[in-house]
Amino acid sequence: MKPALSIVFFTVASGAGLGLLALLALADLCPVPLLSPAVLPRGIVLALLLVAAGLASSVLHLAKPSNAWRSFARLRTSWLSREAVLAALLFPLAFFYLLVVSFGAAGVRRAVSAIVICLLAWGLLLCTAMIYASLKPIRQWRTAWTPAAYLLLGHWSGALVLLVLAIGYGGEPRIWAWLAAALGVAALVAKLGYWRHGAADRRGKSVLTLEQAIGVPQGVRPPGVSVAQARLFDAGHTQRTFLTDEFIFRLARRHAQALRGAALVLGFVIPLIWLVAGPRHWAAALAVAVLALAGLLAERWLFFADARHTVRLYHGDART
Amino acid sequence: MKLGLLIDLDTCVGCHACATACKEWNASSSVSGPLSDYQPFGAEPSGVWLNRVRHYEVGDYPASKTINFPMSCLHCADADCVSVCPTGASYKRADGIVLVDQDKCMGCNLCAWACPYGARELDEASGTMKKCTLCVDRIYDELLPPEDRQPACVLACPTHARMFGDFDDPESEVSRVTAERGGFGLLPELGYAPVNRYLPPREPKALPGVDDARALLERGLASLASPAIRR
Repeated sequence: MKPALSIVFFTVASGAGLGLLALLALADLCPVPLLSPAVLPRGIVLALLLVAAGLASSVLHLAKPSNAWRSFARLRTSWLSREAVLAALLFPLAFFYLLVVSFGAAGVRRAVSAIVICLLAWGLLLCTAMIYASLKPIRQWRTAWTPAAYLLLGHWSGALVLLVLAIGYGGEPRIWAWLAAALGVAALVAKLGYWRHGAADRRGKSVLTLEQAIGVPQGVRPPGVSVAQARLFDAGHTQRTFLTDEFIFRLARRHAQALRGAALVLGFVIPLIWLVAGPRHWAAALAVAVLALAGLLAERWLFFADARHTVRLYHGDART
Repeated sequence: MKLGLLIDLDTCVGCHACATACKEWNASSSVSGPLSDYQPFGAEPSGVWLNRVRHYEVGDYPASKTINFPMSCLHCADADCVSVCPTGASYKRADGIVLVDQDKCMGCNLCAWACPYGARELDEASGTMKKCTLCVDRIYDELLPPEDRQPACVLACPTHARMFGDFDDPESEVSRVTAERGGFGLLPELGYAPVNRYLPPREPKALPGVDDARALLERGLASLASPAIRR
């Protein structure tokens, strides 16, 4: 699949924003104060900025953004429609929550808003992931690892952003460092699981072949033979098409491995080492968060570039 | 109703007339048109096509065969392109035709991602998704003579490799021919239940082999020689 930069940025930025928002709401719900009072409102604003930047980027992906308002129409079947509805609900409700928090009101109203915001953030992360996980033509994405990775990577990057604020506004947040480390390890496990699943699937029984795609088993073959290999002889067009642009993205294995390495080192190894042994200064935390987000950009770019759509069979790929 | 196309891979010669006729009709259609071209007279001409013909080679010489393979929307019974569409622009009609409402589409590409067959193409100029309409603006047009109420690709095919009809009706010509000749749908594994069917190549009559040729030659020589012998 073509890794569209607008979508890569959208999923990483809004993922971090939503993870941050969920963690803030959960911390707010905790009876023991886990954050200094200055962090919560600032965190909510930062999270909403990240989500808004992501959504703005996702609108850039549309070929006709003037019709984007129509995307609430298919709530019953479309994950993209569900994502749009939840995104539209998030902002007014998060502003309400921000007001409640800013005026310092404790009590039922605040608790209920925190729960609602947390559920909305989780719902949005899930919707984004399910848009991909529900697509049958792209088998690498059709696994529970996809939503698991999206949810955990959002919380992991959100936790790193939260640490910047927590350190900047309140000193040593031991518990947050541990929580972030736990999320980081869980996210790493989910991502490794996703990659493992993809590699196993490529060798597995569910692989589709060019022969299946054009019906060789059903008799599309030379007379007198029962098994025959098929090759693309002529694609029928001389220049690029929408299909070749969108689906025939070829990624050299060398580049894929380099990017995977970058995603692992920047996105997981460096932040985890810093969490265990790094200096507790907000500038260091910020640098780590930025590096981790860069790592996740590489990871997300790969998520698309590595995925092979069934239509590639018709363009001559032997297997997908 | 399940309107769709039956494509005969035995008689298709890969001339692209169906694709060109499709482009011609639909470019000026109010349902799908225009079908934009990019750099039509430039160095890298490209554009939107609703029907594309690809060519495959199956098997190794001497047991090899060229397969010309036209593909357009298969009007799946279980069309994921419709269910993933967030705006409701993609829809399936009661007669089985899958269409895109050009006024509602926001060009998110998700339907094209959900289609394993590559049946949908984004028009960069209009910003909307384009696809085969099964010439819905021809097949119901009562101003046309009945024999012309068929998709443009079917009418254009010089080898009659394409047929149009209702696959829901077991008595229809497309259903009958599909049953007779083992017509199949593409990638049933994926569960889209595509309506369009493809007919595999027929088993050809055996060509005279080497032994047959020798026998033929001997018989010919004998018949040539016989008058001389008789004399």
